[in-house]
Amino acid sequence: MFTRSDDKITSSQATVFLTNSILGAGILTLPRVLTNAAETPDVWLSLIIGGCIIFCLIIVMVKLSQQFPGKTVFQYAGSIAGRFLAIFPCLLLIVYFIVIAGFEIRVLAEVTLFFLLEGTPMWAVLIPFIWVSVYLITGGINVISRLFQLILPISLLVLLVSYLMSLRIFEIDNLRPVLGDGLMPVFQGIKSTVLVFSGIEVTMLLVGYMESPKQAVKAMIAGVSIPLIIYLITVVIVIGGMSTDAIMRSTWPTIDLLRSFEVSGLFFERLEFPFLVIWMTQLFCNFSCYFYSASLGISQLFKLRLRVVIFALIPLIYISALIPTRMNEVFEVGDFIGWTGLAMFLLIPLPLSIIWLIRRKGMKINV
Amino acid sequence: MYRLTSICSLLICLTLLSGCWSSKEIEERSVYVGMAIDVAEESAEEKKLNAQGGATPIEPAITATIQIVPVKSVEGGKQGGESNGEVKKYLNNTQTGDSVFEILRAYALRRDRAVIGHHLKVIVISTELAEKVEIENLLDFMLRDNDIRPSCMIFLSRSKAEEALYSNQPDEIPAFHIVDMVRNKFRNNKIMKAMTLTTLDQYMHSKQSYMLQNIAATKGETEFSGAGIIKGSTGKWIGNLDQEDVSSISWIIGESGGGLIKTKNEKGKTIIYEIKSAKSKITPKVKGTDISFHIDIKTEGRLIETWSSDRDSSEMPILLEAQDAFVKKLDESLQTTLNKLQKDYKVDVAGFGKRLRITHPKVWKRVKDDWDEVFSRSKVTYSIDLKITDYGSSAE
Amino acid sequence: MWSVIIDHIPNWKIWMQGFAAMFIAMAFYITHKKLFAWGKQGTLRTSKQDQNKEQQQLSGNFDTDVVAIKERIGSNSDVNFRDFRISIRSSKALLVFVEGMQDEEIISKQVMQVLMDNSVPKTEGYAIQNDAQAFSTYIKEKILPVCKVREVSEIGELVEFILLGFNALLIDGMSNALLVGEPKPKVRSINEPTSEALLRGPRVGFTEVLSENTALLRQHGRTEELQLTMVEVGNRIKSNIVIAYMKEIVNPELLKEVEDRISNINHDFIAESGYIEQLIEDNWLSPFQQVQNTERPDRVINAMLEGKVGILLDGTPFALIVPVTFSMLLQSPEDYYERWLPSSLLRMLRFFVAFLALMTPAVYISFISFHPGLIPTELTITIIETRQGVPFPSIIEVLILEISIEILREAGIRLPKPIGPAMGIVGGLIIGDAAVQAGIVSPILVITVAVTAISSFAIPIYSAGITLRMLRFVGMIFAAMMGMFGTILFFLIICIHMSKLKSFGVPYVTPHSPYRLSDWKDLFIRVPVSLMKQRPKMMKTKDDKRK
Repeated sequence: MFTRSDDKITSSQATVFLTNSILGAGILTLPRVLTNAAETPDVWLSLIIGGCIIFCLIIVMVKLSQQFPGKTVFQYAGSIAGRFLAIFPCLLLIVYFIVIAGFEIRVLAEVTLFFLLEGTPMWAVLIPFIWVSVYLITGGINVISRLFQLILPISLLVLLVSYLMSLRIFEIDNLRPVLGDGLMPVFQGIKSTVLVFSGIEVTMLLVGYMESPKQAVKAMIAGVSIPLIIYLITVVIVIGGMSTDAIMRSTWPTIDLLRSFEVSGLFFERLEFPFLVIWMTQLFCNFSCYFYSASLGISQLFKLRLRVVIFALIPLIYISALIPTRMNEVFEVGDFIGWTGLAMFLLIPLPLSIIWLIRRKGMKINV
Repeated sequence: MYRLTSICSLLICLTLLSGCWSSKEIEERSVYVGMAIDVAEESAEEKKLNAQGGATPIEPAITATIQIVPVKSVEGGKQGGESNGEVKKYLNNTQTGDSVFEILRAYALRRDRAVIGHHLKVIVISTELAEKVEIENLLDFMLRDNDIRPSCMIFLSRSKAEEALYSNQPDEIPAFHIVDMVRNKFRNNKIMKAMTLTTLDQYMHSKQSYMLQNIAATKGETEFSGAGIIKGSTGKWIGNLDQEDVSSISWIIGESGGGLIKTKNEKGKTIIYEIKSAKSKITPKVKGTDISFHIDIKTEGRLIETWSSDRDSSEMPILLEAQDAFVKKLDESLQTTLNKLQKDYKVDVAGFGKRLRITHPKVWKRVKDDWDEVFSRSKVTYSIDLKITDYGSSAE
Repeated sequence: MWSVIIDHIPNWKIWMQGFAAMFIAMAFYITHKKLFAWGKQGTLRTSKQDQNKEQQQLSGNFDTDVVAIKERIGSNSDVNFRDFRISIRSSKALLVFVEGMQDEEIISKQVMQVLMDNSVPKTEGYAIQNDAQAFSTYIKEKILPVCKVREVSEIGELVEFILLGFNALLIDGMSNALLVGEPKPKVRSINEPTSEALLRGPRVGFTEVLSENTALLRQHGRTEELQLTMVEVGNRIKSNIVIAYMKEIVNPELLKEVEDRISNINHDFIAESGYIEQLIEDNWLSPFQQVQNTERPDRVINAMLEGKVGILLDGTPFALIVPVTFSMLLQSPEDYYERWLPSSLLRMLRFFVAFLALMTPAVYISFISFHPGLIPTELTITIIETRQGVPFPSIIEVLILEISIEILREAGIRLPKPIGPAMGIVGGLIIGDAAVQAGIVSPILVITVAVTAISSFAIPIYSAGITLRMLRFVGMIFAAMMGMFGTILFFLIICIHMSKLKSFGVPYVTPHSPYRLSDWKDLFIRVPVSLMKQRPKMMKTKDDKRK
């Protein structure tokens, strides 16, 4: 077929989609969250271990989705656990997505209003953002993946260049001693690292759209490794550049790191500017992922037209972005999202896999 | 029907266009590049203004001076017109108040353009003030503000901080001048590595003692002269170290990239050693509750200047003699400085604690809250390995 | 607990804003859809309404036919009627032609002389006495030594061909009329296209004559696979279109799609290939062109070898190539004629230049008006000093200068040759300098605008340059509203629009995405020719390897 049949994405597009749904607002507060939990510079080890745990979670989700080719979790949950039983967790997942979307966009607004545009009212930042996102997701998953593939390499490039530049204030001593306090802090840090990977639930939607679901495992693992590597580099460089003490006192450590030095001679003397630009586009992609997943969920669960659902969700997302009234609450929502993500995993893929396995074994025994 | 929707959409677009909330042209803002904080002392103009109905703070705490560039001129198009000799390119503005933020906002009462701190490069605090008020309190606003970048440098000043922001050179902006001077670190090890807000944040949080470069200023000339010590537990200034001490400390830390050792040879003539490379390694040794440090200093350099013309300085015995003389001198300086640190001031500003933390983290955990005291009781030994590798291009 | 929840329910203003956002978005969406459909309907042929005129056939009777023809076109002053008698059976004959387009040689020597010649070739095998059809066949096959002979039986068609420049020959006894020879309109010689000049490469460009253009295509080399099919378009004035493709390479579905869209064209007269472009493109509301136009035959041939389809129209030297993607708009054939290293560098330069042409004014406005903290300090001080006397906010300043540049550009196209370049220099240097001296604009802005203007000229395809010029005004408005945030939104909107755009089924942003490593050989860098062994995968060609 010359005209590509829509709604099928290649493996690299699936990888990029997953990467974008994980890489979001977390990157700014990541060093602080981790260091607060562990209080030593060894959090990069916790990150690696946390990443491995996430791999396992992903594999469970992928394996489950591969049993139902072409269908997303909203469609096959019903066939595993019965329609009525499945609606509740799926609804929970949808609400979870909406809450994350609101949170991401709120963090974007806070950071933008604080560092870039002072004096602009919040709605003037939120509403155009939501509109542009609507413009994107009404195109369907193909358009979304194409845009993500356009933007991701640029983001990664600028990110890496900014980090490279910050090596001038990097001191390896800030990361030492390694395991000075033993392994306990590392384990305490693992809790927080898992939270920062929230967003992996979109795997259950993606596998249904892939052209070749056989490669789903590879694609999804790649999709998680990219954020993992980025987070690792971020944590190492931020701790090295700022040391744990300074991080614990900084609200947005990553941006503070980039503001701590100037590269004289380049046109962009102040490197937080390209970083913020990239971070905003990245956050846009992130937000669109969740917006799309939530709309898809509602549309597939209640058999409504996707476009209608997208428009109907606009006020809901806007409201969920404005529910926290102050910064503390915003961060509380962030933590809450992390825990809910873990709960989502325990609530949806795990039980569904178990039920599926039991039913299959049961059928085998019967036959 | 379609017309209605399109008209509505257009109207809404127009209303959006009218609200450019954060838009303010760049020439309508005042950029301040330097800030000096002193003990509260109202200037004459301020007293007069306040007498005409201003708000007089009951117990003003600080006086802040900001340095604004560029100076507002009437026509912008004509650059390079007739400059009448001493045209200052900056403007200093002083205000008294209780808090830094309040003072900055008070400038809105006096100046026609809002000040923005994006380009703040230098903050100078007078030692007088730092003795009374914790540095953390003074710098709190700078850390919280969205404008001010944490790359801005902090200095202390022996005299009034305001004087550091004056310059008698035409076309020179003192704040930039100070920033550029820091870059001379590779020429002289009496200059410390610049202390930015981020690094300061780190020290303030961990309550360790540290030093800040001192600026001496007079009649428009500024000079880096030694450093001031801030004690970690109180956050206040407790004393000064002079330039020699700063030099010794940079030997200890191992950041003596450029610099010299000056001494007299056995004939009493001055000889000077230029450092090509200097490395130092601090090894903490822990025996029970006894902590001691050993510093290994290794350096290579050249004999760059001798004031004794009667000897051939390129001969080996002379060189070895000179080497010994240099080692002796370095030894003396180090000893003086360590004495000052351990006995007079009882602080550790040379990074010994940091090394201990890396090599013996458990011990560090025990002693870190009281580290200054523990350090003053620790024994510090050092060994110096100095080698004169060459004598320049004059082989006499 | 309840109080916490109630505390957090946002107040009514926020609800209003949320719902307003939804309604405005829906309004935009519906308006867009209706607008799109309304524009699209014009290109679709709803019913076959072009067969209104009854087909009037030639009767076979010489005199009636002559009268009929004279009735229809005799009133034209440039139509000539030449009566004569042919030697065979001494039948009456009529030659109808239009002045200015006939080839005297052919008509005199090869038609009239032969027909009037008394030596008649044998007529065996041709029952010419009775059968009118056989008579025309005999004339065609044995008598007329002319290459191109055509039989026409319908009067309307005959008349149109006569007016197009063909010579019509009616002979008493023939049932049909014959069109002999070909019109030879006055044409210009083949020379290098002015809008696509290259330093290295063939200096030929298409002309206005379709047959010459197809000849140019064929002249590139021996091949069996180059296929040219001719179609007619236009209701009132019918023009010829040639669809060119490589038989073994092109994807048959693409070809069918192109043919369908061309056959659906419902228009009076296709004056230029631009009409075809606008009538067959996917999205008429998009600022990006989805069909590429070129004057160079080598571009067309290269494109066809990649699996694309070329469309040539009679009467214009601009040929069309479909489908097109964004990266092609930044490519020039010179990229392939030079070695890979300079080509790659030039290509990367072009991407950078496209970005500059689009975003520079927007970035300037956001820095000056919104984020002075992001510029290096020394530059900030310089800008403040130079902007002291300027009375306008930056958006107005930029608009003034940009619109002046556009006016100068338009004027420059139409100025007579001697004044043109001088005007450019005058406009650029002196007016810019005078504006700075007068204090209307700041010098930094002049540099910004100059960089933008030059960048938009560095783009190899003129239409792409126009697109970027238009879009930068939109970018300026976004930047003026919300600074850097607005610029980023603008950039995202452009990227989204390009991601949604498809040209004949090929997504516009291929090969940037989806990632196909082999297609990247020709994207940012140009890999040495020896490594370019495969055709672009995005075209889904039948034959992958360039053997």
